[in-house]
Amino acid sequence: MRRAFSPPALRLFGQIGLVLCIALPFSAHAQQGPDSAQDDSNQKLLQRINELETKVKQLEEKQAPPAAPVAAAPAPAAPPPQPPAEVDIPVVNEVAPRLKLNVFGDVGAQGFDGIPSSFEFGSLDLFMRARLSDKVSVLGEVLFIAASDNSIEADVERLFLQYRQSDYFAASIGRFHTAIGYYNTAFNKGEFLETTTDRPFIYAFDDQGGVLPMQDVGVSVTGKVPSGKLDLNYIVEVSNGRGWGVDAEPAQNSQDANTSKAINGGLFIRPEKFSGLQLGFSLRHDNLTIPAPAVHETIATAYAVYVNSKYEILNEAILVRHTEPVAGSVFNTSAFYSQFSRAFGKFRPYFRYQYFNAPGNDPVYLFAGPNAYSPLTVTTFAGRINGPTAGVRWDFTEHSALKLQYDRFDQRDLDTENGLTSQIAFTF
Amino acid sequence: MKKISKLASLFPAVAILAITALVLALSTWKLVDARSVQAAGDPIVVIVNSSNPIDNLSMAELKKLFLSERSRWDTGKAVAPVMLAAGAPERTSFLKTVCGMTDADLGKYFLQAAFTGKSATPPKDVGSAAALKAFVAGSAGAIGFVKAADLPSGDTSVKAVKVDGAAAGDAGYKLQM
Repeated sequence: MRRAFSPPALRLFGQIGLVLCIALPFSAHAQQGPDSAQDDSNQKLLQRINELETKVKQLEEKQAPPAAPVAAAPAPAAPPPQPPAEVDIPVVNEVAPRLKLNVFGDVGAQGFDGIPSSFEFGSLDLFMRARLSDKVSVLGEVLFIAASDNSIEADVERLFLQYRQSDYFAASIGRFHTAIGYYNTAFNKGEFLETTTDRPFIYAFDDQGGVLPMQDVGVSVTGKVPSGKLDLNYIVEVSNGRGWGVDAEPAQNSQDANTSKAINGGLFIRPEKFSGLQLGFSLRHDNLTIPAPAVHETIATAYAVYVNSKYEILNEAILVRHTEPVAGSVFNTSAFYSQFSRAFGKFRPYFRYQYFNAPGNDPVYLFAGPNAYSPLTVTTFAGRINGPTAGVRWDFTEHSALKLQYDRFDQRDLDTENGLTSQIAFTF
Repeated sequence: MKKISKLASLFPAVAILAITALVLALSTWKLVDARSVQAAGDPIVVIVNSSNPIDNLSMAELKKLFLSERSRWDTGKAVAPVMLAAGAPERTSFLKTVCGMTDADLGKYFLQAAFTGKSATPPKDVGSAAALKAFVAGSAGAIGFVKAADLPSGDTSVKAVKVDGAAAGDAGYKLQM
């Protein structure tokens, strides 16, 4: 049974759409405004400064005498430095899309109990962004990743356009990383940014057997809430929600199975007094209707993280609840992980302990694809999996890191797994 | 026997790691960078455009301005942070004192900020203190920092602001090289 989109959510969705419709034309107009002009003025000033520096160097070289003069004539007094005047900016077609491209990649080798050790092509991630105007930007990410059948699959991870009115309001539309908890938006692909070689179980990619919806297609609104030194931030997402069923694409990219939208909201604080500390929670609700019977999904997360250039302490707890309203059945999946690392120069040893427990008869996970998260012997993330991970990361250049990681997983009704992974992750 | 077999199956991963580590360790061996030798004790002065009404900034506010966590001044002007290029002693000291970072940390911070979808813009780099002052003087939202020696007392092209209520040279002033 399909459930109609609830009125409050409809109003929210409508308001967000209205804001976007209003804001975009304003942003185009803003290209001609003083802030845009200031940016352009900055660019011109920088260019001018570089030119002047080059000329000064040339003049100094020309004027450098081969030997000290006996009596040098007094140099004429230099005019006092004048600040450059504000530049008049032509207002037509001055703001063009400026593409910035980063490539992330990782390769390595790994061996797990009972599985042939293998070299591994990890991923190739093309990350693109561009500012279309002072307040409008676009972000795209295309990922190439090795599948469990040894093929290499291409996947558009993200594509969204963002309008940023101020620090208090930014709206994005498109396909984005779901803001569930902390880890998914902080890292996702791009292993160079991650300390470890892989993600916690609970954040395994949904198209690789993971249980959480990692991408959504819809609208996201984020910003700060005026809160002084507490630095309170909010995020609200309205999206098509997850697709499920046999061979279903996890993100409903162009066709929602029902009119009910998934709603995700979260708050987090970053107290000024404890720089690096972030505390937050998120709550997501979605109605899954195909295949029948319908399932209501609620995902609650809470986290406390502390990150600076030396320490990384991540703690997250997650509860996923699936309810079948007709049968009245309830299925709870609980998970948590704690990760600690400390940098010693270019080396960063780390430790992680994680716990994951999903009911084997959960109606949604029954359709999960084969687990390609790592070569575990389990075929899906069902049952209890827990254990420690220990490793060390070595940033041997500014843009590349070598990681060595040992994992030990206890799995309900299965043998304990031991594994060793080496990975070189880089960006350029 | 079974355990030996299991260990043997891990041998390729261990061997690859060991060889790679050795090669990379040898390739990254380097001498101490002469630029890291710097004068100690000189104050670093934070400067803004003369039209900016701000007179005082806390260390936390400075961090937000330079890490793009705050994008607008109260006047509505876009914040435009500027720094001397990597390797300058005042930059190294400023990053360490204000942001708790090295240059490498700063690069990674902005890379990660961009990756997470934040509209974060790294500070602009310039080649000299004179160029930095010229940039700040010509851009209403600009903010930068120079050594006190690079800002003579008669220089009114830019405005020096206090940090945590203290001016450069005052007792307890935190921004020192």
